Amino acid sequence: MSVISEGVVRRKRRRSRFVAWLAGDKRAAVSLVFLLALASLSVLANVVAPYSPLEQSMDILAPPSAAHLLGTDDLGRDVFSRLVHGGPMSLYASFLAVSVGVLIGLPFGVLAGYLGGWIDTAVSRVIDTILSCPSIVLAIAVTGALGIGLTNSMIAVGIVFSPGLARLIRVQTMIVKGELYVDAARTFGLSTPRLVFRHILPNAIQPVIVQVTLLLATALLAEASLSFLGLGVQPPHPSWGQMLARAYAYMEIAPEQMYAPGFAILFTALAFNALGESLRSLLDPTRRRSD
Amino acid sequence: MNATVPTPTPIVAVERVGVHFPVSGGRTLKAVDGVSLEVMPRETFGVIGESGSGKTTLGRAIICLEKPSAGRILHQGLDPYALSSRELRRHRRRYQIIFQDPNAALDPRMTILKSIREPMDVTGEMPERQRQQRALELMERVGLSPDFASRYPHELSGGQKQRVCIARVLTLRPDLIVCDEAVSALDVSIQADILNLFAELQAEFGLTYVFITHNLGVVAHVSDRVAVMYLGRIVEIGRTEDVVLSPSHPYTEALLSAEPVALPSNLRSHSRVMLKGELPSHVSPPSGCRFRTRCRFVQPLCGEKEPPWRETAPGHWSACHFAGELPIMSGAELHPVKLGGHAAQPEGRA
Amino acid sequence: MSRRTLRVIGWRLLQVVPVIVLATFAVFGLLQLVPGDPAAVIAGETATAERIVQIREMLGLDLPLWQQYLHWLGGAVQGDLSTSLITGLPVIDEVLRRLPNTLLIVVCALILAISIAVPLGILAATHVDGRVDRFVTSIASLGVAVPNFWVGMILVGFFALNLGWFPTTGAASLTEDPARALWHAALPAIALASSGIAEITRQLRSALIEVLSSQYVRTLQAKGLSQGRILWRHGLKNVSLTLLTVIGLVFNRTLGATVAIEAVFAIPGTGSLVVTSATNKDFPVVQGVVFVLVLIVILCNLLIDILYSVLDPRMNKQ
Ligand SMILES: Nc1ncnc2c1ncn2[C@@H]1O[C@H](COP(=O)(O)OP(=O)(O)O)[C@@H](O)[C@H]1O
Ligand code: SF4
Ligand SMILES: [Mg+2]
Repeated sequence: MSVISEGVVRRKRRRSRFVAWLAGDKRAAVSLVFLLALASLSVLANVVAPYSPLEQSMDILAPPSAAHLLGTDDLGRDVFSRLVHGGPMSLYASFLAVSVGVLIGLPFGVLAGYLGGWIDTAVSRVIDTILSCPSIVLAIAVTGALGIGLTNSMIAVGIVFSPGLARLIRVQTMIVKGELYVDAARTFGLSTPRLVFRHILPNAIQPVIVQVTLLLATALLAEASLSFLGLGVQPPHPSWGQMLARAYAYMEIAPEQMYAPGFAILFTALAFNALGESLRSLLDPTRRRSD
Repeated sequence: MNATVPTPTPIVAVERVGVHFPVSGGRTLKAVDGVSLEVMPRETFGVIGESGSGKTTLGRAIICLEKPSAGRILHQGLDPYALSSRELRRHRRRYQIIFQDPNAALDPRMTILKSIREPMDVTGEMPERQRQQRALELMERVGLSPDFASRYPHELSGGQKQRVCIARVLTLRPDLIVCDEAVSALDVSIQADILNLFAELQAEFGLTYVFITHNLGVVAHVSDRVAVMYLGRIVEIGRTEDVVLSPSHPYTEALLSAEPVALPSNLRSHSRVMLKGELPSHVSPPSGCRFRTRCRFVQPLCGEKEPPWRETAPGHWSACHFAGELPIMSGAELHPVKLGGHAAQPEGRA
Repeated sequence: MSRRTLRVIGWRLLQVVPVIVLATFAVFGLLQLVPGDPAAVIAGETATAERIVQIREMLGLDLPLWQQYLHWLGGAVQGDLSTSLITGLPVIDEVLRRLPNTLLIVVCALILAISIAVPLGILAATHVDGRVDRFVTSIASLGVAVPNFWVGMILVGFFALNLGWFPTTGAASLTEDPARALWHAALPAIALASSGIAEITRQLRSALIEVLSSQYVRTLQAKGLSQGRILWRHGLKNVSLTLLTVIGLVFNRTLGATVAIEAVFAIPGTGSLVVTSATNKDFPVVQGVVFVLVLIVILCNLLIDILYSVLDPRMNKQ
């Protein structure tokens, strides 16, 4: 029986398809490399950063130099070290917000799409209502209620993400639910939860994966805004948004302080978006490959 | 209506079943409207009718994919909807379907082996190795190389996918299989192979089939009895030879004559009865006899009263006011070469 | 306006009611998210027991939930959104005092975004996959990924601090001194517009591409109709509905994004109000701002729906 060797061949083929995707989309390849580099930098922040991000010195608002690659901030802290340590904060924040959004949005969306009827109507109305509130304002209100801080504010952002994700997975579930293979599975006596996990979710999840990638960028920007507004990361801990807030306070004296964190946010958001867009066109059914 | 002599309990009994769908404007579409029939063990029961006549919906109702809005379905005397949902999940495994479109019937994200194993995996009664073993055996039985085991559906041809579906259903040793146009989406060259496979499997596993098709040749070839459906209703039912060779309902005559025949047109034109007009709407079917808008024998009575069932030969029933009195052409007249007193050959066989 | 259109408008107005009711639930529910005893949280760690009791009574937190809700709703219906815990002033007054400042920059940003994005979108769609298209789509990608408060900071640094062309901070009343108000609103509006430009450009581009590549339009081209004429008569007419939808979406986003922009430019608007009240746990104010903004968005969506049915009578059949 060649079942096992077939599996190996298959895995190899999948790997080469992955390579082909990246080779065909340079922007996605660059983005992936950038994000991987950022992730490793975040893991190795303690090793890479020359100073502690909290260590103050008398050298205040110094311009870039050999000792301080990006200069120092208003408390004499090394900007480069703070930037490096801000990375994991931002990544943690983005993934936390998106996870919360998926965790809340997915079950509601699947439930509404699968069950239909009045449950669907009710869930859809609630989704519409929440979506008609400007998302950052709602996130701020929820943060205020939950209590200020990075984790709470990102849970708030996740709550704000959930209705959009629920709406997306609802539509997908409705489509997949009508597929013949779901009917077939039903005749085999699958229970509803099993039907959902084995057939509906795997076939409905693709657009959600794309959306999640794009939402990582949105979450990153939301974290920056909330930390800039003092509702996210609390001093003295660094995050890119929080660094921008400090830079803003000293903008007349040291305007160059706002560039490093700003570009860090911009590039990371660009990378998430590029990856998401690339995944979208890769998974686009109108462009499905025929291999 | 059915004149079956006292026999064992039918595998499935359909009793005045209606399947209604809500459509826009608050109206209802009666895809199946008051259908009754019985399928006996080891029988092949054909259902024929043009596209849109409600065959698929009837087939889905038989295996509990569509809940009857009226009447009831009995599986060996048992009403499946009287069961708890847990019991129903167990019970329904014995009533299976092969869908028309094998591409859509397989989960694109599952390997062939996983798909075939799935029905067995649901209960997990057998040890894993045994399930694997049985799946591979059945693959071989339906004519699939074990190399396909780890492939995905999109890598297979339509015929191969249909074989996968058959193997998958066989893992359950079902009492009844509804074959819903199981070959019509396939290449003509493969249709006969799959039909033969169905026949072999029936002998081997003692299967009972409800064979749905719009192709008269296929139904004549495989089924013992046949029901002709029109606009959600059965209009004629009887032994296949009787219905095909001496139809007693004008719709069956038209259906038989619409069957393409491998003859030059000048030789067959004289015996063609064309179906005129479109299939009327299910939502507001014609009064009286539903076929009257297209019937060549239509009389004033047909619009006033619903035709009763008339038995034109033992076990051969027709829902026409004038069944048995009309100058309907026989199958031999309609298909001089093809039928020739014998059951028809499936398309592509010849 | 046809009778049918009027009926559709009436129907839409009716549909808004349940959404507003749900919105009141959501806004009221915000307070339920507060972990533990809201009164104690609001009063702060150093508060005396008396103060906690006082706050509990003031907010009616000792009542059953549904009574609290009805109480709040009763006030809201009469335009009373309770009073601030900090200043003791009516919330509605404060919100309405600040709202014009916010709406001014949002509307300016929207106008700016539309007037830049529409030509960009057309340019990209008529040069698909060319250099112009690639440039425009790159700009759009940037616009989506850039934090707009950072754009605001850069603008302040350059145009206000370096060149001194614009004021760095503050706002002026549009009714009292329109010129000065617009002068103040210029930089914030530009900063705010960045993501709107990107969003509108993208959507307009893809909608136009779809229309222009349709069989119908290709026939017109074959008949020798000029590109401009086709664009005007068929392209833009067909995508105007898409545009309307996107504008609704962008309005909502811009209304949210203004929060950080107001912080950068020290504009006394609703955004800065919600931030300070959330920080100070002044929940009646937070609830008030959220409620008023939700109402504005719902009304904006309603307006778009109505415009939709006026522009496209086919929709009314549904
Ligand atoms: N789920 C459904 N909802 C509404 N109408 C349906 C549904 N399923 C089938 N129909 C309608 O019922 C009629 C019969 O369909 P079907 O059973 O598929 O016929 P056949 O299989 O004979 O072609 C058709 O008019 C079809 O449009
Ligand atoms: S009842 Fe009348 S209309 Fe109906 S089939 Fe018979 S003859 Fe034709
Ligand atoms: Mg069918």
